[in-house]
Amino acid sequence: MLSRLCLLLACLLPVGAAAGAEQALRVLVLDDAPPLSYRDESGQLTGFNVEIVRAICREIQASCQFEVTTQGAVVDAIAQGKADIAGVGLQQTAERQGKLIFAKAHYRSQSLWLAPRGVQPGQPGLRVAVVGGSEQESYARRQGWATLAVDTHGELAAPLLARQVQAAMVPMVSALHLHKSPAVRQLDLVPLVMRIPELAGDLAFGISPRRPALKEEIDAALDRIKRNGTYDRINSRFLPFRVS
Amino acid sequence: MSVLIKQRGFYASRAFALLAAIFLVIFGTAVVLLALDQQRVIDANSRLQAQTVPEIIRYQRLARNLEQLRQEGERIFAVNSHASRQQSMFVVTLIASHPSILEHPGATQLARETEQFLGEVVRQSIRDDSRPATFYGEWQRLAARLGTQVDDVSIQGVDLVTSDLNVATEAMRLARYKLMGVLLLFGLFLLAFVVLVRRHLIKPLQAIDRALSNLSVVQPAPEFLPTAMREIQAVEEAIREQHALLIQNDQARHVLEKLANKDGLTGLMNRRHFMQIAEVELQRAQRYRRPVTVAMADLDYFKKLNDTYGHAAGDLVLKTFADLVREALRQSDLVCRYGGEEFAFLFPEIPPGDAAKLAERLRLRCAETEVALPDGRAVKVTVSIGLADASECPIEIALKHADEALYDAKHRGRNTIVLAGGVAEGSQASSEPYNARLF
Repeated sequence: MLSRLCLLLACLLPVGAAAGAEQALRVLVLDDAPPLSYRDESGQLTGFNVEIVRAICREIQASCQFEVTTQGAVVDAIAQGKADIAGVGLQQTAERQGKLIFAKAHYRSQSLWLAPRGVQPGQPGLRVAVVGGSEQESYARRQGWATLAVDTHGELAAPLLARQVQAAMVPMVSALHLHKSPAVRQLDLVPLVMRIPELAGDLAFGISPRRPALKEEIDAALDRIKRNGTYDRINSRFLPFRVS
Repeated sequence: MSVLIKQRGFYASRAFALLAAIFLVIFGTAVVLLALDQQRVIDANSRLQAQTVPEIIRYQRLARNLEQLRQEGERIFAVNSHASRQQSMFVVTLIASHPSILEHPGATQLARETEQFLGEVVRQSIRDDSRPATFYGEWQRLAARLGTQVDDVSIQGVDLVTSDLNVATEAMRLARYKLMGVLLLFGLFLLAFVVLVRRHLIKPLQAIDRALSNLSVVQPAPEFLPTAMREIQAVEEAIREQHALLIQNDQARHVLEKLANKDGLTGLMNRRHFMQIAEVELQRAQRYRRPVTVAMADLDYFKKLNDTYGHAAGDLVLKTFADLVREALRQSDLVCRYGGEEFAFLFPEIPPGDAAKLAERLRLRCAETEVALPDGRAVKVTVSIGLADASECPIEIALKHADEALYDAKHRGRNTIVLAGGVAEGSQASSEPYNARLF
C-alpha cells in the first residue's frame, strides 16, 4: 500500500513541477523595421513591437524566444505552426483571418505615399517601392502599379536614393523612420496620407491557430500593460506620438 | 357538565407557518431587490473596467497627441534648420491624419487647421528663413486653442468616470435605503411575532396555568378570555370539562358519604357514624369542660307491635319516631338508630338535667302521636329513655351508663325517663302499663 502511494506521488510530482514552470513561446519578429522592430547598437532586438511582446510575455509569465523572419514569410510561418506568435503588426484582412488568430489590436496605423511634389498615386509610368508581403504591396499590385518589393523596411531607402523608384508606399511608422535619414530628406519627398480603408486601421499580433488559448491570455495582458503605463512608456520610447 | 362552546379560530401551527411564509416572501423579495442593486453596482464597475477605463486611456492618448501636435508646432518656430522643420512637419502630418485624431470631430478640425497653418509656415520658411516669426502671433492663438482642446478632451475622459460612478453611487444609495427598510421591516416583524406569541400563546398559557393551579370544586368554573388559537381553545375546553368532572365527583362522593353514614330506614345517623362524631364532640366538651349528656332510647313493646301489625307497620313507626326526634330536639343534638328499635343521643352544652327536659318533650310527643297504618288502623307507641352525664368519661362508658338507666326505665314500667343516678323529674314512671293503651 505504501509503495503504491509513493509511486502515485512520484507520478504527480513532475506534473506539479511542470504546472509551475513558465511556458515557452516562439515569437517571430523583424529585425530591420525600425522603430517597430530592429537591432540596437549592441545587436539586441528591440523596437516598439518587440518591447510590447516582451511586456506581454512578462505578464503571462511566458518565456519568449525571438526568431527573426521577414514581412513576407511571417503569416505562413505562423499559419504552419512554426512559431506561436507573430510579433509583427498585421492588418486583419479576410485572407489572414483564415490562416491565423489575431490578438487584440495594439496600435493603429496608416499608409503614406512618399514622392516628390507633383507625383501622385496611380500616375502612369511610376514605379513604387514597397515591402514584400506588406499590405501596401498587395494594394499596389491590385491597382496594377509597377512595384519594386524589398525584403525589409530598412531597405526602402536604397531604391529611392538610387532613383529606381519614383515613390514609396510605406506604413506610417516606417515613413517616420525613413524621413529621419538626411539623404532621404534631400529628396524632398512630400508625405501623402492614403485615405484607403485597407491601408489604414488596427494592427495586431498574430497567434498560431494551434495555440487558440493564447489569444485570451495575450488580450488580457495587453489590457493590463495599457492600464499600468507600460504600453505608454514603450510608445514614448520609440514613437513621437500615441499610436493606439 | 360543561357546555361545549364552539369557537372560531386558527390552528397555531398553521397561523405561524403562514406568518413564516409571509416573512420569507417579503424578505426574499427584499433580498432580491438588494441583489439587483448590488448587480447594478457590479455592472457599473464592470463597465468602468471594461469600457470606461479604456475609453479614458483613449482620451488621454488623444490629449497626448494634441499636445504633441502643439510641441511640434513650437519646434517649427523654435528651430532654424529647415530639415528639423521638415521633420516636425512630417510628424504633424502623421498626427493630424492618425485615426486617434480622426475619430474625434473637434480634434480633427483643429489638427487639420494646425497642419495647414504649419505647412504654410514651413513653405514660407523655405523662401525666407525669417518668415516664420511673422506667423508666431497667429500660432500662439492656435496653440492656445490646442491647449484648450487638450483640457477639454481630458475632462471628457474624466466625465466618463463621473457618469459610471454616479450610477454606482445611486445604486448604493438606493441599496442603503432598501437595507434600512429591510431592517425596519425585520424589526416590525419581530415585534409583531413577539406580540402575537405573547397574546395568542404566552398569555393564554399563563391563564391556563393559573386555572390549573386553582382548579377545585370550591372554585367557580374557570373563565377564559376569547382566544384565536384552536389548540388553546381545546386545552381551555378540557380544563372546563375537568372542573365539571371534579364537581360531579364531589357530588357523588357526598352522596356516597351520606349513604354510608345514615340509616337507610329512618334517615338518622347510623351507629358507626354517630360514634365517630360523638367521640369528637365528647373530646371537645371535655377539653373545654363543657357539659354534655348522652341518652339511650328504646320503643316500648316494639317486638309485639311487629308481631301484631307486621314489619311494615314497625318500619313506619320507626320512621315516624325519627321524624318526632328531628322536630323535638335541637339542631345541635346528635341522634342515631343504634340498632333495631334502639336510639342513641348526644346533647352538647347541657347537663343531664336540661337534657332530661328535652327527652321528656320527646317522650310526650311520642306518647301523643298516633301513627296511621296503611290498612286504616292507628297505633300509638311510647318510648323509654335513659340519660347519663358524659362530661367526664369516654363515650362507651357514658352510653353504658345511659343504657343502664334505660334498663331501669324499662324496669320501672316503660314510657319513662331515667337519669343515671336518679329518675328524671316529670317522668311517667307511675303511668299505667303501655300495652293497655296500645291495644
